[in-house]
Amino acid sequence: MKQSRSLNFILGIYVVLIFAFVFAPIIFSMIFSFNSQRFPTIPLGEFSTEWYAKVLADPDIWKAARNSLIVSCSTAVIATFLGFCTAYSDFRYNFRFKGPYLALILLPPTIPLIIMALAMLAWLAMLAWLSKIGMSGQLYSIIIAHSVLTAPFAMAVIRLRLNQMDPDLESAAWNLGGSEWQTMRHVIIPFCKPAIFSSLFLTAAVSFDEFAVSWFVSGLNSTLPVVVLEIVQGNIDPQVNAIGTFVFLTSMTLVVLAQLFFASRQIKGIQS
Amino acid sequence: MSSNPEQRPNLYALTWRLPIIFWQLIFFVGPVLFMVAMSFFLVKNYRMTEAFEFVNWSRMLTRGFFWDSYWYTIGIATLSTVCAMCIAFPAAFALAFRASESTRRWAIFLLIIPFFTSYLVRTFSWFVILSESGVVNAMLGYVGLGPYTMLNTNFGTLVGYMTLTLPLVVILQTVTMANIDKNLIEAARNLGCSPLRTIWQVIIPLSKTGLIIAAIFCFILSFGDFVAPFYLGGSQEPTLPILILDTTKSGQQWPRAAVVAIMMMVTLFAIAFTGIALAYRKGKGAK
Amino acid sequence: MYRPTVTSSLFGLNRRQLLKAGGAAVLTTPFVSRAWAATTEINMLAWYGHGEPDVVAEYEEANNVKFVPKYYAGGDNMLALIAQSPPGTYDLILSDAEFVQQLNAAGYIEEMNAADYPLDDMLHEDFSQFPGHWADGKMYSMILRGGHLGVSYNKNSVTEEEAQSYACFWKPELEGKVGHFDWHLPTLGMMSLYDGNGAGLWDLNDDQWAKVQETTMSLRKQVGGFFDYGGTFNGLKNGEMQAMCGIGDWITGVLEKDGAPVASVIPKEGGIQFTESYSIGKGSEKADEAKKFIQYMMSPAGQVKSAQMAAYPGFCVTKAGRAALVEADMAEAKRSHQIDGDSQDPITLIKEGRIHYRDIPQQQTLEDWNDFWSEYKSA
Repeated sequence: MKQSRSLNFILGIYVVLIFAFVFAPIIFSMIFSFNSQRFPTIPLGEFSTEWYAKVLADPDIWKAARNSLIVSCSTAVIATFLGFCTAYSDFRYNFRFKGPYLALILLPPTIPLIIMALAMLAWLAMLAWLSKIGMSGQLYSIIIAHSVLTAPFAMAVIRLRLNQMDPDLESAAWNLGGSEWQTMRHVIIPFCKPAIFSSLFLTAAVSFDEFAVSWFVSGLNSTLPVVVLEIVQGNIDPQVNAIGTFVFLTSMTLVVLAQLFFASRQIKGIQS
Repeated sequence: MSSNPEQRPNLYALTWRLPIIFWQLIFFVGPVLFMVAMSFFLVKNYRMTEAFEFVNWSRMLTRGFFWDSYWYTIGIATLSTVCAMCIAFPAAFALAFRASESTRRWAIFLLIIPFFTSYLVRTFSWFVILSESGVVNAMLGYVGLGPYTMLNTNFGTLVGYMTLTLPLVVILQTVTMANIDKNLIEAARNLGCSPLRTIWQVIIPLSKTGLIIAAIFCFILSFGDFVAPFYLGGSQEPTLPILILDTTKSGQQWPRAAVVAIMMMVTLFAIAFTGIALAYRKGKGAK
Repeated sequence: MYRPTVTSSLFGLNRRQLLKAGGAAVLTTPFVSRAWAATTEINMLAWYGHGEPDVVAEYEEANNVKFVPKYYAGGDNMLALIAQSPPGTYDLILSDAEFVQQLNAAGYIEEMNAADYPLDDMLHEDFSQFPGHWADGKMYSMILRGGHLGVSYNKNSVTEEEAQSYACFWKPELEGKVGHFDWHLPTLGMMSLYDGNGAGLWDLNDDQWAKVQETTMSLRKQVGGFFDYGGTFNGLKNGEMQAMCGIGDWITGVLEKDGAPVASVIPKEGGIQFTESYSIGKGSEKADEAKKFIQYMMSPAGQVKSAQMAAYPGFCVTKAGRAALVEADMAEAKRSHQIDGDSQDPITLIKEGRIHYRDIPQQQTLEDWNDFWSEYKSA
């Protein structure tokens, strides 16, 4: 396809501009996290790490970070499991009510978070009242809510991967004497591994930054985004920028690792 | 796809099919149905009591400010979708057709990073960038252009929406267009189609499904977001999510908040279903 | 054929790296050193700032306790948080005074023994029997601090003289530069005062309520936005907003200390007082610990901490507290006019009848006021 060089150049600049727009707030947040002023304005104040010191010394923030990790890891596992089940059922089987079945897992993203948050809060409170177990305010209520929210993404990712699988692969395995379970274990799951990992990362990521539902549903056990929201609603402090920078650097590292992992697997895949 | 119409699903099939049903019924359908029920409850002495009254509905739906907010929210969410789709398209086009496979992969991974960073923190960064004494106005000042008010306007709200949706839209558009059979495009060019015509008559129809899905996601995200219109738009005007929060601030009025929430849900379902129907309809000439 | 060879070396490397990083992370958390002594944890439900180190660290060290704060934004939020948790979750509850009645009506707070607290050392006789804190002769909440809401303005756009009346909000130069704190109660209260309703500002008959709505609507074209805490700060600091309705020194005080040219005054039509009080959560297992802390906060040392709170300042309510503040931090005492004889002394203002305690509307429901607020925003 004939490629005009000047057009390519313009397109390249455009892409860079898009990335600049997406990353500008993040970069600025990092800059402000080192700014000595409490209320960032232009021109900047002096370089200071006091906000980082404040964040690192605050045990509540560490607790929230720990909670965020627990929640996002648990959510990732549950959501990926649910997503895998549904993706596989969709891939392999045709059955009545398949439409509503798929709708059941795919609908949550169509409902704005703030509504889900409201509904979850009321529902969990009611369940608590019925069962006398304190369901909201505990980490598992956030995990439950997040898994509902992120399962569709897991399902989509795994389903796309299953699309790439040779449909006769499963039948071939059966013909060679494998049971359905053995086939699952030795053929399907290994094949889906990259998708499973991607799904784990993706759902963990979505859960990590989710604040609307967490805020409604969490009580004393806040996650990191809830802490950010609380700080911002009652204070104004570049602490949030320090926290934001930490989260950003951690996720950058994770993404780079995932990319390297994925890239090397692709090479291995071609070689085998 | 090996689809065997089963007579009776065996244990194996059920193991995979059932978990999601139970989980979603209890933790998704349950809350939503409860919320519908809640919209008929009453609040007495600041406690919610079960009832079946229509007063919440009649009160909310007869309020001028509800409908003002409703149409405004639909309008600004539509505007946000149009902007995001248009802004993302050239970038997605470049990434899908002009970039190498690895560049594309890196670009997509980089665009996923914002999902890992706090949306709230990013929103607050915009304060300093967009305020009248902020970065943008300072730079414009050097060139002699007057300070523009960007915060607490519709523009601010849109910037917020772009922050939220642009990465996702770019990713979805790129992936969709990258999956188009390149041979078809080659064929079109060989037949003498100009680049623009190729885009309009070949690429877009072929990526119709993906593009519509991207638009639907963008609309849903913008429609339900409260951070952008509140912090960057100054609640000028309040959108439906802001209204929900406001309603809960007036004496525990969860039932009335539920009314607003249900109206939002119904609207979104209608738009999502229409969109999906359009996306998967067999248009003329599509392969 | 596809062979699922996980590149074990790469994976192994990752695992090792991860373990190393994880171990390092665990060892560097500040927890390990401090946490395993037998500290009592006290759950506190409050506005942001009350559980922060600048207020509680000294007490925590001295008494081997650890406060676990849950911050809320608004009285309704607070009630919702209590409603959705099992009784006894929160040991200490800090609330706005007008919500104490609701807390009590819902059975969320314990009775308190008045003799435990310095009720005879109050700066104003109202404080010892503050409305709503007592029911049937029993005390349910201890007043901790207060703050005044009036005209908040940027000194570059509004002179101190102009600020003596709410009318300055309508100045043509301020078009698009007046901000509202996003809560109907204080703003509508101020509009009510501007209309001349004085002490009856919350008790409006239909005509008065209609007039207040009209007055408020006339302000709409001046409005630049509706903000929460963070937005308010940003607006005033960046100069986007040159005046704010619905707030007071509790915001401008923080900005002033940071060097911004803002200030708050009580105009001639009168101002509104917000009051914060501590209660003990019903069913709390640490009621004694909670009581001890409340007594500390009512002592001179605690009152000074409260006045100096980094999140937002408030004035002392005890005589001993005020004396301690003047001794410990004259600059802050001067800034907040907490000096006997100062014309803007909050207590003097109350005695002169220029301050009205914040309350909920009497003849309309909160819903009515909130509905109007939504209407106002959409206008």
